[in-house]
Amino acid sequence: MTDELEQRSWAGVAKGDADIWRELISREIPQLYGMFMRRWPNPSLAEELVQKTVFDAVRGCGSYDPSKGSPEEWLFGIARNNIRLEMRKRASRPSVDGDISSYVEAIDSEALPDEVLEQKETAMVVRAALSRLESKEQAVLRAKYIEGLSARDIAGRIGITEKAVHSLLYRARNSLRRELKRMTSLDKQEQKL
Amino acid sequence: MKRKDENLEKNISRLVKLTGDSNEPSKAFSESLINDALSELSESADGRQQQTKHKFTRTKWPRILAYAASIIIICGVVIALTMPTLQKAKTEVGWSRADKIALEQGIPRKEIAGKPVVALERAKESVPQVWDESSAKLAKDRRPVSGPRDSYTLSAPEITNVTAGEVSSTLSEIRVKGERARRLGSCYKPEPGPGGYPMAHGGTTPPNGEAFDGVFFKNYGVNPFVDTEDDHLSTFATDVDTGSYTIVRRFLHDGHLPPEKAVRVEEFVNYFKYDYPAPQEDVFKVYAEAAPWKFGTGRKNSYLLRLGLKAMQVHEENRKPAVLTFVIDVSGSMNRENRLGLVKKALRMLVERLREEDRIGIAVYGSRGRKIMDHKRLDEKAEILATIESLCAGGSTYAEEGIRIGYEMAESAYRKGYINRVILCSDGVANVGQTGADAILEVIKKKAEKGITLSAIGFGMGNYNDVLMERLGDKGNGHYAYVDTIAEARRIFEDNLTGTLQVVARDVKVQVDFNPKVVRSYRLIGYENRDVPDEKFRDDKYDGGEVGAGHSVTALYELKLWPGKEGTVATTYVRYKDADTMVATEFNSSIATEDFMPLAEKKIDTWFETALSFDFRLATVAAEFAEILRKSYWAKGAKLSDTLHRAQALLHERSGDADIIELVDLISKANQLMKDANIEPGETDTFHEP
Repeated sequence: MTDELEQRSWAGVAKGDADIWRELISREIPQLYGMFMRRWPNPSLAEELVQKTVFDAVRGCGSYDPSKGSPEEWLFGIARNNIRLEMRKRASRPSVDGDISSYVEAIDSEALPDEVLEQKETAMVVRAALSRLESKEQAVLRAKYIEGLSARDIAGRIGITEKAVHSLLYRARNSLRRELKRMTSLDKQEQKL
Repeated sequence: MKRKDENLEKNISRLVKLTGDSNEPSKAFSESLINDALSELSESADGRQQQTKHKFTRTKWPRILAYAASIIIICGVVIALTMPTLQKAKTEVGWSRADKIALEQGIPRKEIAGKPVVALERAKESVPQVWDESSAKLAKDRRPVSGPRDSYTLSAPEITNVTAGEVSSTLSEIRVKGERARRLGSCYKPEPGPGGYPMAHGGTTPPNGEAFDGVFFKNYGVNPFVDTEDDHLSTFATDVDTGSYTIVRRFLHDGHLPPEKAVRVEEFVNYFKYDYPAPQEDVFKVYAEAAPWKFGTGRKNSYLLRLGLKAMQVHEENRKPAVLTFVIDVSGSMNRENRLGLVKKALRMLVERLREEDRIGIAVYGSRGRKIMDHKRLDEKAEILATIESLCAGGSTYAEEGIRIGYEMAESAYRKGYINRVILCSDGVANVGQTGADAILEVIKKKAEKGITLSAIGFGMGNYNDVLMERLGDKGNGHYAYVDTIAEARRIFEDNLTGTLQVVARDVKVQVDFNPKVVRSYRLIGYENRDVPDEKFRDDKYDGGEVGAGHSVTALYELKLWPGKEGTVATTYVRYKDADTMVATEFNSSIATEDFMPLAEKKIDTWFETALSFDFRLATVAAEFAEILRKSYWAKGAKLSDTLHRAQALLHERSGDADIIELVDLISKANQLMKDANIEPGETDTFHEP
């Protein structure tokens, strides 16, 4: 890209040119996601922060000044700011015990703390619990939450109605909850032994 | 409630996301974020340019919020108003229940006023007659567990005694009919064979010092370790048979070590009940578990993978009605050890458990095959029982003709939507006709395709043909079981009748795909005669195993892993045909190192006692026992006494479990016999090379 072209596209960012913005954010979303994941290995938090960063940028596109640097640098500045905000938020929260078992009991009444989700053991426990579900249930949970597909997409993919996808999802969530409870209670018994 | 679901959904979503292994956001997330961001961009751009024009639309939001708030308030008020009424209604319901109980028990209403309903219902339960009835039922249902010698050895007088006691209700009828039958001389005596074949069995002393004479088993070998680099797929047909375990039990109770080839590991493992929860919606569910395995000498970095396949339950009331055709071997050999007595007893047990709409027909064979009773509905129970009672044994064994006649009867009595099953009760010896089993197997296979299946139930030991019986059950799309005691007959015909009769999936095949990056080599323990070529897995014409309602199938693999590698260990594919529609279905399930490695690393020294499920340990003990008994090469250096300790620990956890009491007893018997015979599993030369 020549300097001139670059300059023009930078100006386009400030003006809110849709095509240039599309190019910018589709290139930068994976970078931002990776940056947040390295900080806190928690996909849902990373998604949340990417979303916040992109929206902050879009809403403040008028404040971007091409003379101060590239749009990428500007975007990462916003991201770094969001990391600082998140850190401050965490510092003010009471510290949590990273053991998932004490939170699984309350899984349908309170949001799980991010700190718990970021424990390596949590991912292991969830993986193990997931592997104990029926293959259909595993598949639908993965499609919905990891691939982020909509119920309609899933319905199309496995050839059932959208309504059936919803009820399958409902069952799958409850099975996973049951397995998690079972596994964490086993873990507790072991610790006692 | 709604809020609860939302919280759960959010948490589950966050947890499941943790298991995604890519470090990139999902495509769907990126796309929707880009679209949202762009529409936000155009809105805010519009907003900047035409702020004044859009004042009206902006003021819309507060108004919508105000509407929503007022709706919520109204809902709250309505709930607050209806709550007291609801509670009142509830109390009224409570009262009417109390009234009802009072009425039933003849207690004046006054007396129970004010007592909570639950307490009253408890009081109701403790009314003496109710308790007596249920305890009597319990006593009746209880299986004899103590004193294996006494309860498992059957002598002729014992059988007669039990018979007299147990069927006393129908006995008078039978006696009348039986006596009439005897007067008419219609007790079925086999005619002399064609061409005057000699009686099959002479003499009573087994030759060559063998425990039993003329027992036929076949050695199918022991599966070797396979490098995943050469072949990462392992394919086999399921097997729910349990015959091998009961045969070995018979040997051990009689004070003999079983011949190695009589031991099929998978049938040992599958004999036991495991707590795999039955699937609610699907036909099958797969349960996988893995752990380090210490067994024998020279084992390093060895893991045991257990795959459990559980079939859906069918409640007894929902069982399909059955058309059963019994083909009963009444040849001379069935006189030995009162085999025919045991058959009769087993059949009576079955008849008592069947329902009115079921039908039974009976054919027999000795020197010739013969139909002795056309299919009758269970309304005519007395007739059926009398016919069973009138059977007596003698002559040679023209099994082929008997089976052929049985199938002809089954075909003419065939009913769509019913379970159509031929039940062969025999010691498996066929000595007249084209005795080569192939002729019979061909007939059976053809009929199985038409929906008439076969159960081969083996009786007796001396002169017992295990090979033929197992193959018959296999080819007939039914199953094979061996009845050594009346307790075993009860297990098959009473406790598991629905599973024995109603097949929920046909041609069930399992293919395990090992990840060569994590698994270096694997060995399937057992299933030697159930091998399916990898490429035939999706060939729906290729025969697989049949699985009955509520049955479970357990397979064990020994694995060697590459050190330090993580990831998916194996993906299990299960393919089967729906028993009714014959439509093939396939599904899969995976297990990864993360699922067991943390556990394995933490608990390597005490893993067996503390880290594993009861089921896993039970399956391991059963497999080790079988491996040692069949002198598998891979059991080199393994001590049966170690396995015995593990079994005793299991018993300690479930002290009342009859199956485990028996397992411990059998292992200790085998241990003693091995000591007496000076067989140390450490001696390599007594073990077969794979």
